[in-house]
Amino acid sequence: MTTDVGRSEAPGGAVGWVETRLHLGPFLNALLHVPIPRNAKTFYLGGITLFLFGIQVVTGTLLALYYSPTPDAAYESVLSITSDVSFGWLIRSVHHWAANLMILFLALHVLRIFVQAAYKYPRELTWLVGGGLLLITIGFGFTGYLLPWDQRAYWATVVGTEIAGGVPVIGPALLLLLRGGAEVSEATLGRFFGIHVLVLPLLLAGLLGLHLLFVHQQGLANPKYPEPRPGRPAPARPPERLKPFFPDYILDEVIAWYAVLAALVILASLFPAGLEPKADPLVTPEHIKPEWYFLAVYQLLKVVPETVGVVAPVALVLVIVVLPLFDRGEEVLPRRRPIAIACAVLLLVALAVLTFYGAQV
Amino acid sequence: MRTLRPFLLPALVAIGSLLVVSMAAAGTPADDSAGPSRVFEVSQATPTPEVPLETAPPLPTPIAHRGDATSTGCVDCHAKVDARQAGIADEWQASIHAREGVGCADCHGGDPTSDEITVGMAQAGGFQGVPDREDTVGLCGGCHASAERMRPYQVATDQYSKYFSSVHGQRLLVAKDDRVAICTDCHGSHGVKPASDPTAAVYPLNVPGLCASCHADASKMQPYGIPTDQFDLYELSIHGVQLLEEQDLRAPTCASCHGSHAAKPPRSDEVVDVCGSCHTATQALYEESAHSRLEGVGPKCWTCHGTHDVSEPNESLFLHEGGVPDYLCATCHSPTDQSLRLEMDRFEDPADRRCDTCHHTRSLIYSQVEAIAGAVGGARDAYDTALLRIDDAAALGMIVADADVAAQEAMTELIKARAAVHTTKLTTISALTDATVVKAGEAEALANAKLADSDFRRQAMVVVIALIALNVLVLISLRRRLHAQG
Repeated sequence: MTTDVGRSEAPGGAVGWVETRLHLGPFLNALLHVPIPRNAKTFYLGGITLFLFGIQVVTGTLLALYYSPTPDAAYESVLSITSDVSFGWLIRSVHHWAANLMILFLALHVLRIFVQAAYKYPRELTWLVGGGLLLITIGFGFTGYLLPWDQRAYWATVVGTEIAGGVPVIGPALLLLLRGGAEVSEATLGRFFGIHVLVLPLLLAGLLGLHLLFVHQQGLANPKYPEPRPGRPAPARPPERLKPFFPDYILDEVIAWYAVLAALVILASLFPAGLEPKADPLVTPEHIKPEWYFLAVYQLLKVVPETVGVVAPVALVLVIVVLPLFDRGEEVLPRRRPIAIACAVLLLVALAVLTFYGAQV
Repeated sequence: MRTLRPFLLPALVAIGSLLVVSMAAAGTPADDSAGPSRVFEVSQATPTPEVPLETAPPLPTPIAHRGDATSTGCVDCHAKVDARQAGIADEWQASIHAREGVGCADCHGGDPTSDEITVGMAQAGGFQGVPDREDTVGLCGGCHASAERMRPYQVATDQYSKYFSSVHGQRLLVAKDDRVAICTDCHGSHGVKPASDPTAAVYPLNVPGLCASCHADASKMQPYGIPTDQFDLYELSIHGVQLLEEQDLRAPTCASCHGSHAAKPPRSDEVVDVCGSCHTATQALYEESAHSRLEGVGPKCWTCHGTHDVSEPNESLFLHEGGVPDYLCATCHSPTDQSLRLEMDRFEDPADRRCDTCHHTRSLIYSQVEAIAGAVGGARDAYDTALLRIDDAAALGMIVADADVAAQEAMTELIKARAAVHTTKLTTISALTDATVVKAGEAEALANAKLADSDFRRQAMVVVIALIALNVLVLISLRRRLHAQG
């Protein structure tokens, strides 16, 4: 396969100027020119999540230029961003919708990996790191939700932190740690902002780098055939048909990114991010609802004892994260993994039902 | 002793008599300076003379209050006699009297320290048994009218004298009618609770139901010939909805207008002050009006707003809908001498509570009413239009906080304009309606700007999507070329 990097051996112009000094050619060559299975079906979900994270970094940075993380000024600054700052409404709305889409595509990405059994050998660590990325992304949603400091933000955080306070043994300490005091206050807003714009981005960037490094080293999984295991005879299979990662796959990925960008523009234009009245700790709204991705837990807490409602989702996430440790079968085709697929379907139905009822007033 | 009647807390008595009586208009001749087409003499009829009140009887000497725990000793035996007496004991235990150490013997007399019935309940030893209804008020007053005894509790001591000034007290005193409400009918006997206790029958939220327990009972009211629909009317009124549904303790109960211990319907010359005790600003505006200058015979609050059935006022109070009403001279004028007589019972039908019920279409004042109605209606229309635009913008996801603020300012002016209607002065009202229209216009302009912004966003969205589509087409063509190259 001929490549741009190959041509850079005799570069000219600005590219040549840089190449003669940094010799990046071999590095980029190794990074981009990897073959992938022709029948790998990623649906570009991981890439789209990465793209959305990029959008969040850019829009989040722009929002941070105007945002003031104090109870006295937070609401007014968000109002000003939305009403006064040029295209502030667009940046904020894109940030809002990209956050929701990021959760959605991340969930779909996890589901794709599960259905294709791509978490099995040799990709257990990639899955584990992916679990960390999922938790960090949810953390982004939770901490970012408070920042507009309107009624919905404030009271959803009151309820959310109370749920965290229900964790057995460490609950009270966790509640205090999250709120920075007995109530959701200036201390809470300060630490949520710090975690949202500093701690979580650094953590996510680090884990994301690791995740991508693992994917690069291991290549994409073949959804039809299990990976040959060391010390065992490789099963007979037809020779794997490959295609280049660059430019073929990248081109398709970019087209998918454009589609998501179009969806973001439409959502931000037709359904811009709103703002409720300013947070008032003395006025509890009639109905307090968390974001859609917390609705299932919210509804579960209504129908089971608090301890169960808090412990069950945490245990479920832990089970999912350590899934490769106990699901060690070699089969990758869904029809040959009926128990795993049945469990996933059951879980999805339960989540859908709980989310549906949680969304009702 | 068959019952254990605890000492009764305040001689708080019957709350809120809902008696509706015709008012005796104490008329004073006055000119309508606003200039009606024909100036009528106001009624010179002598108002019904007030019957002097019988003064309250002297307070009986209270039963000696032992002031120690021994007065509660009766409970030890009587709580075990039967379920009824055990219930009375429980009721008393939960009362304010039990909390303050006021026990059975403080009302019933006797010797609570003796466990011998012949000693503890001996008449010779001061045992009085169950006091009859006539004596109960004095029994309660014995302590509750005593400033010395009530000093530690900071409780008012005027309930006894107020009660005997009420319709209830006067009937008890003069007609010896013991069917009227006495202290225990409202406060209970053994289970007396302070009015601040939400479980007390005299807690404000419970007062309308308490008064209605007698006043909505046709059999109880039949001897007095007074209506029994006051609670039904009140329940649906703006006051009733606010109190009973919204549980807003600022809303008036029966007692707020009629008094509690001194329960009596407000007189015609009192009603403006009664309503004005809450609607202070409105009263001040009314007192600037031509209506107010008519004094006794002029229209009062209830002429336009009713009494128990006060509804939320709106522009429909100005003029009859669908044309001119059937003018009945007797609505406003005495059939005998044609003098002005606006008596409350002539406006019982809410449909008659309109300006043009009195102000004939051919009168000068009618055109002034039309001008006022037009100004207020126009201001309200301007406000409503602004709200619609704001709602449209909000429905499109636009932040409308600034337009909301302008609309609130417009509403403030509109509220002031509506209140100023009580002055009957067109210039005063017009100044405020004009301010409403200006503020509503600002709110509408802000909302229209949001709508324009929303249009721009949608148009820009189409352009951006077209550019994205163009890029995607280029990429797809590049992809095809790559595939073609193999």
